[in-house]
Amino acid sequence: MKKIKGVKISPGVVSGPVFYFERVKISVPGHFIGDEDFDSEIERFNTAVQKSKDELTQVRDLVLDHLDEEHARIIDVQLLAIQDEDMIKAVRELMLREKKNVTWAYFEVMDNYEKLLLKTYSKFFKERTSDLKDIKKRVIHHLSPKKDILQPEILEPSIIIAEKVSPSDLIHIDHKLMLGIITRYGGVDSHAGILARAFRVPYISNIEVIDELASCKEIILDADNGTILLDFTDDIKASYKSRIRDFRRHRGKIISGKVANSTKDGTPYHIYINAGFVDEVKAMDPALIQGIGLFRTEFLCIERNSIPGEDEQFKAYRNVLKKMKGLPVVFRVFDFGRDKLLAMLDIELLQEDHLFDEWGGIGFLLDNPAILKAQLRALLRASVYGNTQIMLPLVMFDEEVILTKNMLEAIKMELRKAGIPFSDNIKLGAMIETSSVLDELDELAKHVDFFSIGTNDLALYLIGSGRALDLTKNYYHPKIFQAIDKIVKAGKKAGIPVDVCGEMASDPYALIGLTALGIRSISVSSSALTAVSDEVSKLDVKKCSELADTILSTDNALAIYSILKKFHQDNLE
Amino acid sequence: MITRNIKIINKHGLHTRPATAFVTLASRFKSDIFLIYNGVRVNAKSILGLLVLAVEPGSTVTVEADGVDEAEAVESLDKLAQNKFNLE
Repeated sequence: MKKIKGVKISPGVVSGPVFYFERVKISVPGHFIGDEDFDSEIERFNTAVQKSKDELTQVRDLVLDHLDEEHARIIDVQLLAIQDEDMIKAVRELMLREKKNVTWAYFEVMDNYEKLLLKTYSKFFKERTSDLKDIKKRVIHHLSPKKDILQPEILEPSIIIAEKVSPSDLIHIDHKLMLGIITRYGGVDSHAGILARAFRVPYISNIEVIDELASCKEIILDADNGTILLDFTDDIKASYKSRIRDFRRHRGKIISGKVANSTKDGTPYHIYINAGFVDEVKAMDPALIQGIGLFRTEFLCIERNSIPGEDEQFKAYRNVLKKMKGLPVVFRVFDFGRDKLLAMLDIELLQEDHLFDEWGGIGFLLDNPAILKAQLRALLRASVYGNTQIMLPLVMFDEEVILTKNMLEAIKMELRKAGIPFSDNIKLGAMIETSSVLDELDELAKHVDFFSIGTNDLALYLIGSGRALDLTKNYYHPKIFQAIDKIVKAGKKAGIPVDVCGEMASDPYALIGLTALGIRSISVSSSALTAVSDEVSKLDVKKCSELADTILSTDNALAIYSILKKFHQDNLE
Repeated sequence: MITRNIKIINKHGLHTRPATAFVTLASRFKSDIFLIYNGVRVNAKSILGLLVLAVEPGSTVTVEADGVDEAEAVESLDKLAQNKFNLE
C-alpha cells in the first residue's frame, strides 16, 4: 500500500476510479449547410461575436478600474482577436468554399491560427494560444444552442485528478460524476476550494505525483486526514467502508437534524450558512436550518464569466428566497476583490504578490453605479419573496453606506412609480473587514442595521503579508480578537447585532474565543454546519465568557491557541 | 502605395501588448496596411496575423500602406515602434 500526504481543502472520504482532467475540448457540430443557410449562419456568428465582445468589454472595464492596465491589456488582445477582420473573412470563405457550418468553420480558422502560433520559435508566442483558446471557447459558447457543451466527458463517477482546477471547471463538471478532487496546485482559500466545500466534494491539493495517480485503477481519497491511498489491500478498503458509506449518505444533505439554536446553557445562538450558488441552496432544507448568513452574489458572475443582467439576477435571488421560505437571507452585493475578478476571468495573476491594496467591495460598486443599481433593483424586486437582507462588503467609510442608501431610496421611488412591489423592511448591514474602518464603527453603526465580521479579509488587513498561508493559524492572532472585541462593543453600544461570517467561526477553538467575546451569531460553510452545530450545542456561554479577559490580554497567537485548546479539552471533549 | 522599413527595438518584439497597440493604431487609418516579415505579408489590422508573425526583438519589418492616408499611417506606425509602443 502507498500513502500520499496532501493538504485538505474540502473534507470527506471517497473511493473510486480516477479521471485525469484536462481542460475540456469544445464539441463542434460537423454538418454542412446549404446556400440558403449562409446568411442566417453569418447572422448567428455576428451575434455571437457581438455578445462575446460585450462581455469582454464589461470585464475589461472592471479589470481596469480594479486591477491595473497590465491585466486589462490581456483582455484588449482578446477583444481585438474576437473581431479580427482577417479571421472573419477566413470564416466566410471557408463556409462558402466547403459548406461547413459557422461553428465548424470558426473552429477550424481559429485552430489554424493556434497551429501557426505553435510553429513560432518563441515560447512567448506559443503561450498566446491560451488567449485564442479562451476566445474560441467564448464565441463557440454563444454559437451553441445548448449552453452546456463545455462539460468534460466523464463516463462514470470518478475522482478528478488535475494539475489544477478553476472555479468554472468545478461548475461545469456534473457533480454526480465528481466523487472527489486531487490537484497539484490549489489553496484552502482559493475559489475552487470554496466551491468544493460548497458542493461537498472532498478535495486534497499539493500532490506532486499527479501522473502516478492518473494511472491508478482505484484510489481512496481521505480528505479528512489529508491522505490518498493507492495499491491497497481488500482489508484496508474494508476498513474504510463505513466511513465512505457515511460520507456518501450525508453528502446529499447539509445536515441530518435541526441546527442548534442555543448553547448548552440555553443561550440563544444563530448558526447561518454561507452560500453562493442557487444550486447549493436547493440542497438545503429550510425546516432544519436557520437561514443564509452570507450569500456571495459575485459567484453568479463566476458561474458565467460575466455579470448577469438585472432580470437574471432577480430570478436567482427570487429562487433563493422562495427556497428559504421566509428564513433570513443576507445577500452580499458583488464583492469584486482582485481574487474574485481573476476567478471570474479564469486567468492567473501576472505576478504573485500579496499586496492587497486594491480591494473592491462597496467602494468599487459605487464607482460603477450601473452595476450596483442593477443589483439593488434585482434585490428589491426579489425582496417580496422572503426575508431579504443586504450586506455591503469592505465598507471603509460611513459615506459609502449613506450613498448606497440614497441609491436604494431612489430605486424604491422608481419601483413605486412603476407599480413593482418590494419589501419595505430590508435590513442593511456593513461588513467589517478592514483595519481602517475599526476607528469609524460608532459613526457607521448609526447608518446600518447590523455588522458582520469578515474574518478572512480582516486577518489579511490586520496581519498583512505576515499572515500564514494556512488561514487557520491566523484565527488566533491577538489583533483579530482585539478587533472583534471592539466591533462587538461598538455593536452593543449602538444596539445592533454583530455576526461573524468568515471561516473562523467553523474552527472549534476559535469558536470558543468568539463566543467568549460576545458573538452569538455566526455563518459558516455548509460543509462545516453539522460540526459547528455540535460544538455550539456543547458550549457553556458563562464559562466561555470568563476567558475573555485572558484572551484580550494575551499577546501571542500560540498562547491564545493553547488557552482555547485547553478549554475545549476540559469542557467540550 | 508607400513602404517603410521599421526596426522593432523594444525588449520583447511584437508580443501581445505591442501588437495590440500596433493593430489598434493601424485600424484607425482608411488605407490598407500590411506588415512584411521574413517574407510573410499579413494585414496589419489583424491581431491574429501579427501574433502569428512572431516578430522577434531587434528585427526589421516592412510596413506597406495603400490609400488616402498612407503617408500618415506609415509615419505614425513608425513613430509608435520608435517609442517602443509607449510601453517601456
